Amino acid sequence: MDKQKEPKKDVSRRNFLKMMGGLGLVGATTALTGCEHSKEPIIGDFNQPLVGDGWVPEQYQTAKNWPAQVRGRIPIHPKTVVLDRNDQKCILCGQCIEVCRDILSVFGYYKLPVIDDVVCIGCGQCIMWCPTKSLMEKNDIAGVQEALADPNKFVIVQTAPATRVALGEEFGMPAGSWVQGQQVAALKELGFDRVFDTNFSADLTIMEESKELYKILTGKYDKPLPLITSCCPAWVKFCEYFYPDLLDNISSAGSPMQMLGAIAKTHYAKKNNLDPEQIYTVAIMPCTAKKAEIKRPEMNASGRYWGKENIRDNDAVLTVRELANLIKTNGLDLNTLPEKDYDPVMGKSSGGGLIFGTTGGVLEACLRTGYYLFSNQDMPEHLLEFTPVRGLKSVKSASLDIPGLGTAHVAVLHGLSDARVVFDAVRRGESPYHAIEVMACPGGCIGGGGQPRTTLPPSNDMRKLRMNTLYKKDAAMNLRRPHRNPEIIDLYRNFLEKPLSPLAYQLLHPVDFKSRADHIQALDHRRKV
Amino acid sequence: MSKGVLVDITKCIGCDACTVACKMWNNIDFGENARFHAQERSEVHDKNAFMLDYKNWTKIILHKPEKNGEKVWRYVKFQCLHCIEPGCVASCFATALRRNENGAILFYPNLCVGCRYCMLACPFDVIKYEWEKTFPLIAKCHMCSTRMEQGQAPACIGVCPTNVMTFGDKDDMLALAKTTIQNDAKYVPHIYGEKEAGGTAWMYISDIPFEQLGFNTDITTRPIPEYSYDFQKYTKHAMVGIGTLLTALFLYTKRRNNIAEEEAKKKNN
Ligand code: SF4
Ligand code: SF4
Ligand code: SF4
Ligand code: SF4
Repeated sequence: MDKQKEPKKDVSRRNFLKMMGGLGLVGATTALTGCEHSKEPIIGDFNQPLVGDGWVPEQYQTAKNWPAQVRGRIPIHPKTVVLDRNDQKCILCGQCIEVCRDILSVFGYYKLPVIDDVVCIGCGQCIMWCPTKSLMEKNDIAGVQEALADPNKFVIVQTAPATRVALGEEFGMPAGSWVQGQQVAALKELGFDRVFDTNFSADLTIMEESKELYKILTGKYDKPLPLITSCCPAWVKFCEYFYPDLLDNISSAGSPMQMLGAIAKTHYAKKNNLDPEQIYTVAIMPCTAKKAEIKRPEMNASGRYWGKENIRDNDAVLTVRELANLIKTNGLDLNTLPEKDYDPVMGKSSGGGLIFGTTGGVLEACLRTGYYLFSNQDMPEHLLEFTPVRGLKSVKSASLDIPGLGTAHVAVLHGLSDARVVFDAVRRGESPYHAIEVMACPGGCIGGGGQPRTTLPPSNDMRKLRMNTLYKKDAAMNLRRPHRNPEIIDLYRNFLEKPLSPLAYQLLHPVDFKSRADHIQALDHRRKV
Repeated sequence: MSKGVLVDITKCIGCDACTVACKMWNNIDFGENARFHAQERSEVHDKNAFMLDYKNWTKIILHKPEKNGEKVWRYVKFQCLHCIEPGCVASCFATALRRNENGAILFYPNLCVGCRYCMLACPFDVIKYEWEKTFPLIAKCHMCSTRMEQGQAPACIGVCPTNVMTFGDKDDMLALAKTTIQNDAKYVPHIYGEKEAGGTAWMYISDIPFEQLGFNTDITTRPIPEYSYDFQKYTKHAMVGIGTLLTALFLYTKRRNNIAEEEAKKKNN
């Protein structure tokens, strides 16, 4: 605590005694005479009280009681699995709390006093805005390294769609560089036993989600409309906090990440004679909220399958930044690595799975398969570029004529503050939509809180570059419709039977309606407190 | 004009911006672990103590009291309360603690002889020695006295995103506290610091009774100095004699032994 104004002196015993004598007398004289000012300073200036000699940002140097316009910072849950902050680097610039309030509409949108939580949806956007990198994700590299070093562990890794258009930036490539093959190569170099693609399970999510929508629209499923996507865990958390009455609208399908983990520890383990408890599943995500998602109690569908509750569908999530860190510390350079392919059985995907990484992509993919479900024919080529749901407008809505259904109305939302208008309309029963896609991060996962930091704050230019690469690659693919993915077809034929089969339901729909209803009740109860 | 601060406990979200501002403005290092604050939170603090120390002049402590049968979280910002009639000032024969015209209790490090009388005299357990230094000094919140001289609020106040604290003339703050709790039934009808220890510059309002938030509510409403008058008379006479020197020597030796013990402990670990 270096508070004294005076040069610090080491006080020897002799000096101390001398001082004590002097001080005692001076102090005594002062006290006895009531004199406020002391005479001869012995060390330093007696009349110098302890005062501040540091600094605070200029905005706080304001007269009287005016609060600074931009001030403070976000609160962090004491047991958070998402965020970390180094207080020494924090300059109280207030950027984190600005984005949390203005883009995510989280801070400032809950009543005070707090109940028993720190309200945070884990999106990690605050990390992207923090100028000093005081805010970070909770670092989970050590756990992954440990698993990699353990010869008894079979380590499976999956990579989210949006990672392959961003990782390159950490290695000096321009925004939007396509590094899918290099990323796979790097992961293999790092010693992962299998490298699978989350795009594959994105296709799987589409199979389940579009079937769910089909059943609702054909009256076979009792679930309110619109059906809202479930793959963004930050959005799910947001819904729990602010719109618990809409939880029933969220698809029961798990996220692609959850599905891949669950299949890896069941079907894949069985086929390859692996003990599911030996498998360690890692997910490379553009997202920090995924770190919280894997810890949710229901995310152990594979554990329930085996009757061993301790088996989690996914064991660790690394952000793209953490992966870059891991690659660099292992002396690898993405620029010079050869391109490699994903491992089979869960390595193929359609263009629909790929565009999950950007806002609008999930819905577009869902329509590609939904079109087939209703009309029994593949969506015509010219509709595959469904432009009304593309781009960076925060609220996008579109209609599509589907034979066998009529006109489908859909909406796509990202960055949650503008989305509230639509949620409010749904709440009042005034929404015209059949399906809504929601992503918490502006731009969707390509702008996720776990992505490389580029401009501060992140700009739309950067988002557009990453997004365009995804669309370009989708357009160049032959396989664009999720239900045509041969590996998906095999998975249903050999294991899951068909979408929404009891087994598919058990493994791929970690939240059932019953527990959601309980949850809604619990939340209602708390709000009354 | 005496200044005051009103702390509304119901508004705090526990972001710890205030404690960081305190460290920035006062140039206090963060210790070994700069992630200190978040970790501190992982434990519940139901103890009747605020655990300030010479490196942490203000802290946000998470309490988990019950409200309507359910556990709720409340964050309490704590620092020196800056008594109107401070016990520490009265107890310090070296006049190393003084109250200035704004009502801040200032510490004069070069006058302190390290006798610890103030530690005993403080009814709120605010004053703590620096244990790491060979010549121990007190360190505590000084209400950003130089900022107040410039007409600015203390550093922790302006950075608060939810305006937990309001700064102004002491009388206005008391009036504000009164109207706030009168107009909102959620508050308990108690302004902590209005009467405690004869009144303090920092005052608190809350929706949870203060004794459940770690506040010492057994405190007398009589100003602390009244209690130390006898003691004060005694010290005035004693200190000119050899007695003081012996006491000081005793304390100093004891202190050195403490340090030696601490260091030995550290080495053994
Ligand atoms: S992670 Fe998202 S919700 Fe949580 S504090 Fe940061 S910006 Fe706000
Ligand atoms: S953005 Fe970073 S530096 Fe700024 S207040 Fe938030 S945590 Fe601190
Ligand atoms: S939009 Fe994507 S990156 Fe952002 S929180 Fe949701 S899933 Fe994560
Ligand atoms: S800055 Fe305000 S909200 Fe944040 S911890 Fe301090 S008093 Fe609480």
